[in-house]
Amino acid sequence: MSSTRISAMPPSDMDPSKAPVAFGNRALPRLALQLQDTRLLTRQRALAVLCDLVHDPERAYEVTEAGCLGKLKALLQDKDTTVRVKTTEILHLLANHLVSRLAFLEHHVVVSLSDLLDDPVPACRRNVHRALQVVAQFPAGANCLLSLGLVQRLVVKLSKQEEEEEEEIQGLILATLSSCVRVEAKPTLATNGVPILHNLLSHPSSSIRCAAARVMVAISVSREGKDMLCEEEVLPVLVKLLCDSDPGVKANAAGTIMNTAVITKGKYQALKSGAIPPLLALVTSEDTAVCANALRALTVLAEVPSARQKLLEHVPLLETRLSHPVAIIQRAAATAIRVITWLP
Amino acid sequence: MTTVLPSQKEAPAGTYTFASRPRAVHSRSKYRESTAEQNDGPASYGNIMYDRRVIRGNTYALHTLPTAAQLDPAELQRQPESRRRAAARKRPKDQQRVATPEPVEGRKHTDVQTDLYLEELSDRIEESNAGCQTDAFLDRPATPLFIPAKTGKDVATQIEDGELFDFDLEVRPLLEVLVGKTMEQALLEVMEEEELASLQAQQRAFEAQRDAELVEVQRLEERERRRHEEKERRIREQREVLQKEKELAEKVAARAFAQQHLTELLPSVYTVLQQHGFFYDPTQRDVETGFLPWLMEEVSSTLERRCAARTVLDMLIKDVTTQRVEAFHQGAYLSPDSK
Repeated sequence: MSSTRISAMPPSDMDPSKAPVAFGNRALPRLALQLQDTRLLTRQRALAVLCDLVHDPERAYEVTEAGCLGKLKALLQDKDTTVRVKTTEILHLLANHLVSRLAFLEHHVVVSLSDLLDDPVPACRRNVHRALQVVAQFPAGANCLLSLGLVQRLVVKLSKQEEEEEEEIQGLILATLSSCVRVEAKPTLATNGVPILHNLLSHPSSSIRCAAARVMVAISVSREGKDMLCEEEVLPVLVKLLCDSDPGVKANAAGTIMNTAVITKGKYQALKSGAIPPLLALVTSEDTAVCANALRALTVLAEVPSARQKLLEHVPLLETRLSHPVAIIQRAAATAIRVITWLP
Repeated sequence: MTTVLPSQKEAPAGTYTFASRPRAVHSRSKYRESTAEQNDGPASYGNIMYDRRVIRGNTYALHTLPTAAQLDPAELQRQPESRRRAAARKRPKDQQRVATPEPVEGRKHTDVQTDLYLEELSDRIEESNAGCQTDAFLDRPATPLFIPAKTGKDVATQIEDGELFDFDLEVRPLLEVLVGKTMEQALLEVMEEEELASLQAQQRAFEAQRDAELVEVQRLEERERRRHEEKERRIREQREVLQKEKELAEKVAARAFAQQHLTELLPSVYTVLQQHGFFYDPTQRDVETGFLPWLMEEVSSTLERRCAARTVLDMLIKDVTTQRVEAFHQGAYLSPDSK
């Protein structure tokens, strides 16, 4: 029965798995103290509640101000799996906010995270990969990853048996790699990245193929990447992927072809693998990325005289794309027509 | 001094009942007091706990065994019975016999055993079993419930619906808070996911555009490079052609010049050589190189001999003259015979 008197007992514990949060700006200092507690239960509860709080950017700022990052780094080495899983999740959420990202780089959190890449618990590894993927998306983070030599380790992980790594983790590794490769392609190429990605292009899962194709696009931006791709004869597989069912895969395959065909060798290889008919089919696709990439690939291939002759017949098809509402497609179509109808 | 309690009910005929009020037991004083005091009124009551007549402890095994050897349990059973029978037999015999006379003053009779077999008199309690049994419970009706008489005033109260508080009104703020918090949390989560999704979409769009720009740039770069290369190649070719042409012209000119040079070269060479004496008559040369030096040497040797001969002659003459002078001088001092 409720009475009007306020009870002297503390409020009942709604969720015993989470520590109670203090009010206002006492919350985080208290939680920081609890993180260092010797009792396992206290640490787990503090971590569980911190996990929920960190979604808010203001709390993330407070976390970095309260100096919790050092303590979280220490907790990464804890023996208990729950503690490690929660800590990696918190670090992944922190990486989404700018303030804490900068603090990450200051406190060298990435080094400690990378130690857990071989953790036996899959949930922990998944969170580590998620955190690394977010960190790799901004340039300073990608530089950090490259300087720590993590790219090679990730490529090695990809090359291990696929049953060991789940699909999600593979997808995360591929996303991380694509961000890193855009900054600097050499480490990936040096550790035999291209053959491994070549194998992954034929993976049954479409998300893995899409991610692998994205990495290929990133690799083919650099000159050495283009040469490597031509050497490894990846272009026939890419041409086959142009007929894939997933639009993401098609867009990325067309993107890779368009990048690789910039060099002469690539052009001739692409023409030899019969890239033009599938690309023409993709020009009429509804997806913006697919259409644009296909148009640009045709543009690049049209520099070869033999291809130009073939494409002269299909100019009307390209002219239909000129009236597309999206600006980049219009531009790409105009460029393609210009290149095809160029006379020396 | 038994008093009979007034019984509530008449005792059923044929049953003996006895009841008396409880009274305290008179205690016997330890020492005999004078007879006057003995017949006093109620004697002092003693504490039953310190009464020697009250047996304490185990009452069902008090008869102590004889200190002789253990007898069989069957014999043990038979013994009291036999003793009882003997006592019963003795009693009528005692009554027939004359009783012993009373003791004289100051003496007392005691029983003494003079039988053949002395048996020890021991405390043997004559046991007799008596049983008692309460009457079975007689059915009697249950006692009626005691309901005390009603005292005081009856007052009743009842809370009707809606008198305490209006549930719907009161629950509204609570509900609002609960639902509001849940919705807020859900909205936050959905917003966060949407934010992430939109960020990703923005990133993808940016990447697509960047890729477009990149590929354009690279294509144009590549085209420029190829054109540049092509141009360079053509220029080089042209230069080579020019170079070759120049060489050709030089070769032709050199050939003409050489030809012209050679034609007048040959006769002049011959004449020069002839002038220098490279074409010679061999016998003439032989004569000149062989014969003439020999001749000259012979001539010189002959002349040398002649010269030498003349020198010798001169020396001879000198010697002779010197001798002659000396001899002359000596002869001057000696005799002038030799004249």
